[in-house]
Amino acid sequence: MIGWVAGLRPASAQQVTDTATLNATFSGLARLTFSSSTLSFPDADPDFVPDIAASQGPVSITAKARTAPNGAVTLTVQASDNLRSGLDTIPASSITWTASGPGFVAGTLSAASPQLVASWIDSGVHTGTQTFSFKNLWTYPTGIYTLMMMFTLTAA
Amino acid sequence: MSARRLALIGAVALAAGVVPARAQILELSLSPRVISFPSSDPDALPVVVAAPVTVSYRIRQNAGSAWSLTVLAGGDLISGPSRVDISNVTWTATPAPPFQSGTLSKTVAQRIASGTGNVANPSSGSVMFRLANSWTYSTGTYTQTLLFTLSSP
Repeated sequence: MIGWVAGLRPASAQQVTDTATLNATFSGLARLTFSSSTLSFPDADPDFVPDIAASQGPVSITAKARTAPNGAVTLTVQASDNLRSGLDTIPASSITWTASGPGFVAGTLSAASPQLVASWIDSGVHTGTQTFSFKNLWTYPTGIYTLMMMFTLTAA
Repeated sequence: MSARRLALIGAVALAAGVVPARAQILELSLSPRVISFPSSDPDALPVVVAAPVTVSYRIRQNAGSAWSLTVLAGGDLISGPSRVDISNVTWTATPAPPFQSGTLSKTVAQRIASGTGNVANPSSGSVMFRLANSWTYSTGTYTQTLLFTLSSP
């Protein structure tokens, strides 16, 4: 009888709830890293080496960017000046590159305007390489020539 | 025992049987109710930690029965057309037990704490939500609702 009575008691499942709002903010962000920050082209005989490869070999580039949905991400490079050794100059355009990796393109260096290195759509991490070469000519005055290359990563 | 006395006992027992059992009394509150992950560099902070949420709860008239606290996300983190899978959000909680760590789900309520019996005095736990940070997220302010449910048995 007692057991029967207990069996009749309804199971009294209870529950209470509360809610919380989860917010996450992601702002625009970009980071650019290179495997080498210096490029060197060793001296060579123009007849035997018309195009001198950079001693460092291919330069690995990692571009990280956060952008809006379907936002454009571009990487450009511009020379600070022509190659210069004292009063002697060699056009920056004597330096060219080939490229590998999704979004990367070949190009020619310019001191006048930024040149496209790579472009992508959307946020993410992108890697590729640039392999630089220098057009070797008999006409260059002797000397040690330098310039700076400014890379710019832009996330729209 | 006479037949008359048996009938009397039966009547008393039947009356007791239809009286509703005393229901458990459950109380639950969260503070704060807004959990925010600030924007941060994924290289510097691969995991973003939000300020802890205090979960206060009280369970009465539940002697011998189990109770559980679960959390269910209303969906992925959403910002316009962009979304971040809610499984990128995990939590750690103290004290353990009764609290436990876990990963948010939008399909199955995940247990965040459990126990047996009463919690006579208001008790509390601290829950720290963590977001796996990534360069692949599109910019924006993402939001989603979390439903906490304290239930027994």
